[in-house]
Amino acid sequence: MENQKFYYDNKIVKLFILATLVWGVVGILVGVIAALQLAFPIFNFGLEYTTFGRLRPVHTNAIIFAFVGNAIFAGVYYSMQKLLKTRMFSDALSKFHFWGWQTIIVLAAVTLLAGFTTGKEYAELEWPIDILITLVWVAFGWNMIGTIIVRRVQHIYAAIWWYLATFLGVAILHVVNSFELPISLFKSYSIYAGAQDAVVQWWYGHNAVAFFLTTPFLGLMYYYLPKAANRPIYSYKLSIIHFWSLIFLYMWAGPHHLLYQALPEWAQALGVTFSIMLIAPSWGGMINGLLTLRGAWDRVRDSAALKFLVVGVTAYGMSTFEGPMMSLKTVNQITHFTDWTIAHVHIGGMGWNGGIIFGMLYWLVPKLFKSKLFSEKLANIHFWISTLAILVYAIPLYWAAVTQWLMWREYTPEGFLAYPNFLETLTQIVPMYAVRVVAGVLFLAGFLIMVFNLAKTMAAGSFVNNEASEAPALVPAGSRNPVRETIHRWLERKAVRFSILTFIALSIGGAVEIIPMIFIKSNVPTLDSVTPYTPLELEGRDLYVKEGCYVCHSQMVRPFRWETDRYGEYSKIGEFVYDHPYQWGSRRTGPDLARAGVVGGPMYKNAAWHYNHFMDPQKMNEASIMPNYAWLAVKNIDLSQTPKKIRAMQKLGVPYEEGYDKKAVDDLLAQAQGISDDLKASGIEIDPKKQMVAMIAYMHKLGRDISTGTEVPADTIQTASTEFKEVQLLNNPEDLAAGKQLFQNTCVACHGADGKGIATFPNLTDEEWIHGNTPGAVFHQISEGNVAKGMVPYKTMFTEKQITQLTSYVLITLQDENSK
Amino acid sequence: MKIVSEVLTSIEGIRIFYIIGLLIFVALFIVIFIRTMRMKNSDMEEIKNSILMDGESEEVTTSN
Ligand code: HEC
Ligand code: HEC
Repeated sequence: MENQKFYYDNKIVKLFILATLVWGVVGILVGVIAALQLAFPIFNFGLEYTTFGRLRPVHTNAIIFAFVGNAIFAGVYYSMQKLLKTRMFSDALSKFHFWGWQTIIVLAAVTLLAGFTTGKEYAELEWPIDILITLVWVAFGWNMIGTIIVRRVQHIYAAIWWYLATFLGVAILHVVNSFELPISLFKSYSIYAGAQDAVVQWWYGHNAVAFFLTTPFLGLMYYYLPKAANRPIYSYKLSIIHFWSLIFLYMWAGPHHLLYQALPEWAQALGVTFSIMLIAPSWGGMINGLLTLRGAWDRVRDSAALKFLVVGVTAYGMSTFEGPMMSLKTVNQITHFTDWTIAHVHIGGMGWNGGIIFGMLYWLVPKLFKSKLFSEKLANIHFWISTLAILVYAIPLYWAAVTQWLMWREYTPEGFLAYPNFLETLTQIVPMYAVRVVAGVLFLAGFLIMVFNLAKTMAAGSFVNNEASEAPALVPAGSRNPVRETIHRWLERKAVRFSILTFIALSIGGAVEIIPMIFIKSNVPTLDSVTPYTPLELEGRDLYVKEGCYVCHSQMVRPFRWETDRYGEYSKIGEFVYDHPYQWGSRRTGPDLARAGVVGGPMYKNAAWHYNHFMDPQKMNEASIMPNYAWLAVKNIDLSQTPKKIRAMQKLGVPYEEGYDKKAVDDLLAQAQGISDDLKASGIEIDPKKQMVAMIAYMHKLGRDISTGTEVPADTIQTASTEFKEVQLLNNPEDLAAGKQLFQNTCVACHGADGKGIATFPNLTDEEWIHGNTPGAVFHQISEGNVAKGMVPYKTMFTEKQITQLTSYVLITLQDENSK
Repeated sequence: MKIVSEVLTSIEGIRIFYIIGLLIFVALFIVIFIRTMRMKNSDMEEIKNSILMDGESEEVTTSN
């Protein structure tokens, strides 16, 4: 047959490679800064744009969509052309794809730092960018399918099925999860509420892992591993079976992110079952990859590219075993909300994605530039540094996770939480966070070595934008010959039909989970006592979303005694029906806030406390790693948006009365005035229009609707002093030391380490006493508290003995120290 | 708990989705497995090896 001449488009591959390198450095660098912030809060720089809440989404988006995304496209554009023996279908589409994607990345970085976010993890970008992503993604798919149609080989090789599945999977996920109602260019509300939003979001979040971080990489593995090892893949049959099983099963597993949470039992069961089943196809892929190298291990020893690919595939095997284990309810109890999850994703990200990308680049760049790798030795150094970095990253975090979990659930023999102050459990693990910084720096150093090595390789080589090649044209295949062709092979020949089947396999899982959650009402039982947010609370909630508080705080109390004792009543599905978006969070770097507004509950703090805490958390508690939010006291609420927000909420089904949007601002100002007056009583002057006031209102709304009405009028607590019980002070050193320890762990947050009181909180060392300084009076104060003023009633957390020790510490040690 | 019991009653209707899903998977899996296993090994070898032979002007097998 006549050979046709054509040109491979190498330039587009080069562009994507360069973008991979640039965004890789940026993404990792931001990760290192975020790690620094968790170890040393000073690195939040006191600026709203650089707090952890805003930086973390920049890191995750930069790594996933910028670094990994560009690497995928580089790998796909190169291998597709070679596999199908043709140039990409359309140069214009390729260009649009490249520049469109880079625009999205830049817009993402800018808007996330500016605080424009939907508050849904890994889908934080606001609606205009979502639309742009859709357009670019369609261009990518169109280009890919077009290329398949104009190909010069009959058979579509395994790698390309994975690319197609990637295109389809991401398209479905992105569209379904991004349904939002815009209220301005920069702000929208998810159309789903509460538990529904959570199911859709984690169906998306989990499958972003599947279809952005797994399927394209299996595709890359099926091409670059055989190429780099110069051996065919181990079993082609295995690749077919594991392809169909994997894409079918993945779509079901999302609810494993929501175990023990406010989700119907059936949805949780589904998530667990399918997660466990996922081990099989995942390991099918790993085994197929590793066995490809059988008998070629000597080559692995000599080639950094192969070493990276092997580590990648091995890390894939580890993560896909660990993941299903983490979906078991008992294990999930430990891993969820702790650093376990963070370690897990970094094994996947640095090991699997990083390994495949680095391996691919070390093989591909010399090939494209027709030269040898500048230095195999530097590549090996990169390999060892980055492998070490993965270990230094993961091991301390696993340790931290277990340590913190054990502390959260430890009880004293008397049946009280051993560490009632959340901060104690955090202080224990902050050293691990410092180690993590080292890991990040190592990984970055290795990456920079690679950039240098590849740059040198490029400089030494020669590059042609359009590489000439020739191949015979493809004879039209005609209909299936039932004797000679099996169904799968026939399907693969037909790109479009193949895509449709893939689409169906993908849709089933999502549909079965999401449709009942949204359309069967009984899945979300409503609670009558739950009322919509007042306009002020709504503004506060939007600030909570904007500042990214959800990256550190959960709002989801699971039904374990050690959680309900610490935070309060466990969370119910019906509480969240007005939450657009839901804000359950996924990691508890700080304490859960679902019950922050339950007066008399263990989490309640009064307005003055919140004010001082937001102004400077480290002043309240030196060991805190929460960033300060001092600008909340400076910036005003944007009142012009409030009526629009109310109308949007009404559209989404929140039952505000007709025409409420017109009254909203007045209501908002009235409520704000109340909080401002309350603060004034504590000596804090603040204009009611400030964002701080809205944030405090929101904090006080959390959990209030379902609290069982323990609102105690302030004066009933202050009964006549004659009713105080006799308290014998304990003045031996052991008891005083025990009292001191309790005080330092718990009371410092308000009364200060020296007992002199922070900001407006009472000094316990001077002569002035609000309620008297008899042992009985002080004991009473500590045990009953004064919830209206913000003093916590400690009788539910400490034994009488402990409270007596505290009383003694206050009246003996603190008074003594002060009189010196 | 009232809420819990409400959720439980709603399960009856929904379990069916769950079971259907599992059945679809098992059925599909069996079909794909059998089909794949019956493919000719020589064909498989041919495809596997094809990607390693993409030298500039080399003959490409397009036969099925
Ligand atoms: C870097 C992670 C981080 C971020 C981001 C963060 N916090 Fe915190 N937060 C903490 C930690 C750690 C604590 C516990 C120590 C303390 O009280 O300061 C805490 C404590 C709190 C408390 C006190 C809880 C209690 O009763 O003990 C509140 C309220 C709070 N945060 C609200 C917020 C809000 C609102 C935001 C967003 C504006 C936010 N946090 C952002 C880490 C964070
Ligand atoms: C969340 C902040 C907060 C924490 C934590 C806290 N307190 Fe208080 N405490 C207050 C406030 C506010 C008052 C003033 C209450 C009032 O005006 O009745 C107070 C009052 C007191 C008083 C009475 C002071 C007087 O002048 O009569 C004592 C004693 C006291 N606290 C001891 C403790 C001890 C001991 C702990 C730790 C176990 C503790 N507090 C933890 C906020 C706090």
